[in-house]
Amino acid sequence: MEKKSGFRNVAVGSTLCWITLFVVIPYLIVVAYSFLTPDPSGTVSWIFTLDSYREIFSPVFLIVCKNSFALALSTTVLTLLAAYPFAFFLTRISESIRRTLILIMIIPFWTSSLIRTYALIILLKANGIVNTFLLSLGWIDEPLNLLYTQLAVFTGLVYTLLPFMILPLYASLQKLDTRLIEAARDLGATSPRIFFHIILPLTLPGIIAGSTMVFLPALGLFYIPDLLGGARSMLIGNFIKDQFLVAGNWPLGSSASVILTLLMFLLIAWYFLSSRKINQGDMREVI
Amino acid sequence: MKQAFKYAYLAFIYLFLYIPILVLVIYSFNDSRFSTNWQGFTFSWYAQLFEDGPLMEAFANSLIIAFSSSTIATILGTLSAFAFYRYRFIGRKVTYSFIYVVMMSPDIVMGISLLMFFITVGLSTGAATLLLAHITFCLPFVVVTVYARISGFDRNILDAAKDLGATERRMFRHVVLPMLMPAVIAGWLLSFTLSLDDVVVSFFTTGPSFEVLPLKIYSMVRLGIKPEINALSTVMFLMSLVTVTVSHLLIAKENR
Amino acid sequence: MMKKLFLILMVLVFPLASLAAGNEVYVFNWSEYIDPSVLKTFEKETGIKVRYSTYESNEAMFAKLKLVKKNGYDVAFPSTYFVERMRRYGMLKPLDRSMLPNMKNLNAKLLDKPYDPKNVYSLPYMWGSSAIGVNARYIKPSSVKSFNDLWNPAFKGKVLLMDDVRDAFAMSLRSLGFSGNDTDPAHIKAAYEKLLKLKPSVKVFNSDSPKQPFLNNEVYIGQIWGGEVYQASQENPNIVYIYPKEGATFWADNMVIPLSVRNIKNAHAFINFMMRPDIARKNCEYVGYATANAKAQALLDPKTRNHKAVYPDNRDLERGEFQADVGDAIAIYEKYWEMLKTR
Repeated sequence: MEKKSGFRNVAVGSTLCWITLFVVIPYLIVVAYSFLTPDPSGTVSWIFTLDSYREIFSPVFLIVCKNSFALALSTTVLTLLAAYPFAFFLTRISESIRRTLILIMIIPFWTSSLIRTYALIILLKANGIVNTFLLSLGWIDEPLNLLYTQLAVFTGLVYTLLPFMILPLYASLQKLDTRLIEAARDLGATSPRIFFHIILPLTLPGIIAGSTMVFLPALGLFYIPDLLGGARSMLIGNFIKDQFLVAGNWPLGSSASVILTLLMFLLIAWYFLSSRKINQGDMREVI
Repeated sequence: MKQAFKYAYLAFIYLFLYIPILVLVIYSFNDSRFSTNWQGFTFSWYAQLFEDGPLMEAFANSLIIAFSSSTIATILGTLSAFAFYRYRFIGRKVTYSFIYVVMMSPDIVMGISLLMFFITVGLSTGAATLLLAHITFCLPFVVVTVYARISGFDRNILDAAKDLGATERRMFRHVVLPMLMPAVIAGWLLSFTLSLDDVVVSFFTTGPSFEVLPLKIYSMVRLGIKPEINALSTVMFLMSLVTVTVSHLLIAKENR
Repeated sequence: MMKKLFLILMVLVFPLASLAAGNEVYVFNWSEYIDPSVLKTFEKETGIKVRYSTYESNEAMFAKLKLVKKNGYDVAFPSTYFVERMRRYGMLKPLDRSMLPNMKNLNAKLLDKPYDPKNVYSLPYMWGSSAIGVNARYIKPSSVKSFNDLWNPAFKGKVLLMDDVRDAFAMSLRSLGFSGNDTDPAHIKAAYEKLLKLKPSVKVFNSDSPKQPFLNNEVYIGQIWGGEVYQASQENPNIVYIYPKEGATFWADNMVIPLSVRNIKNAHAFINFMMRPDIARKNCEYVGYATANAKAQALLDPKTRNHKAVYPDNRDLERGEFQADVGDAIAIYEKYWEMLKTR
């Protein structure tokens, strides 16, 4: 490998520069703030303290974390279940219209998510389209309780995050060699076997990429759950926002954010270790 | 049977995605400023929309930022994914983990920390800082999408290209990039979508002279979102649909 | 020597001069909170170009103004207790009354309030109250007289609470007979315990636009702003507004000049223009909230002027209380709010 390649320097250099400047340094500011003393005027005073970390491990924060993780995880699973067949079938469609179909899938998402969520409310509310329709058919006697339920929250979250699962899945399913499937079928493999032993492992990178891109943003999301779920419980996103904006406790908000990142890395590390133990394969390639 | 299920499922998802859009299109003709209940038919929101200079300006600003940030993030992100895959360099793992940090950072933390950074280095907020911020939060989505595709590659192909005397740059341009294309396009589309919808990071990183559409929409909430926004969404939606259809027809014609 | 001094002066003055060159005013406000035609009139009459930026919450506006210390905004519109906070932390410039002759048009009942004594830093723009909204189709309005009626078990699952720590606690505190701006930890705790009993009845927390759940028939009773009821009642006359006997909470959005002001003269010109009766009337009719301008109020259509949800009578105004900053006690409020939301 030629070490002096100019191209290598550009690729590596731009990556390092951008991430250091606009990610690492701002993140270090957040870490620094988490060790400072909150100042009543709204920001911080420059006195080192561990108070924020002492304060953060409260039952409230743990419940908030648990709620957010549970919500993000179930959203990820639901999104994956909805998106996988979609992406798979899409790759089985004639190439001439496939690209157009992808674009038609993404166009709805160029409308503000707030406006789309309001549209969902119009559908689900007590005097909304779904209830009016069912009532007029005579299938129900009084409006169903649809809005401000778990169902509404998950509908909204899956709706919003779907393209973040579909696109990476599609990108990895699309290169799947169909000859492999045909060969397996010729050798007498059943459909479930083909799926679990050939298709699934080969599309694992796409599944992991999609799940990451749904799970991580879903952790901090709160606008959609609040609007559709009635805001009766608090999520990490609310918690951190409140510390910065309402309570004026920037150090506590910062430390919550830092703890969130640490938790995430523990999860990823645990995933590394367990997956390496299981198949001794080099999972580094995947994550 | 199997074919039928395939088409039925695809149709089901498209229906799921388009029903809310249909609702918002219908409500752009609703003769009520405040409500989400039907009050009668009107074209007045469209008439108002085309006279609302500041709203159109914010919309244009949003499109400019979304287009440029997603394009730059896609170029940078594709290069980064390739660098992470192919090269060993100091800080590789640390840098890669920070990709995840961006993805999971709550918007408010990212917005405030970037603003503090911009102030510290003496950049005054405006279109430039907004662009930098948008590129930054789009970047991870490109990197992760492209990396997922690249990681399934057979390394032998790259080695073969090298054996045939290709430089790194030529190999990337002529061997790697064509194979990555679906992921690159996917990354661009995701970035464009994200940038067009961001509120909180934009609020903190833009300046007083550069207003973008999502900020305008979200700050309407307290006084009631005007159906003018629905009208704007409808216009934009139709424009995208027409563009996609025309380009599809053109490509189909070319191929014939 | 003189030459040198002159040169230094030139170097110092030149950048300042070039900064002042663009004749603009930077306004930071909610969107749709000013009649767009008013901005056009202002530009035509004064030759000052308006740059209008928006925010979605007082809190976010506060955080941004806290960080942006120069070349920021000329005029902002914080609500009552944010004026107090910004004033206390030195984030505001005092107003120069000689440049604000239109001040005389304002409603004297809204001036010199505890959040800004003598109106040194702020002048009210629009104002309103938060009290109880009821859907008369399901609940008899005459049966609701007090905040305590929200706790009525008959309304279980049909109650709306504001999704804002201060608004929700102010209601509970008032129902206990305390001030909505109370800073006594024991009182806040009592308010929390009372809210905890209400939570099973609450269907939705919403402070973005509480009228929506009412119009959607999702809730029948709850906290709401008067202006929202005024808007909602145009569509569904069953939605009515009730001033409880404990007194409503009042707020006002105020015009202030932040420390990061670029052009203090233009800022004053803009504020003064907004207080002109014909202009204030236009804004009021466009926005649908109560104007703080007495002269403009007199010009309004009597139907609006006499709508109790927008313009309360003197008794209700006197019984009520303006929202004030609670200082450090906000941390206690926030703790209990988190507990309420995680139960």
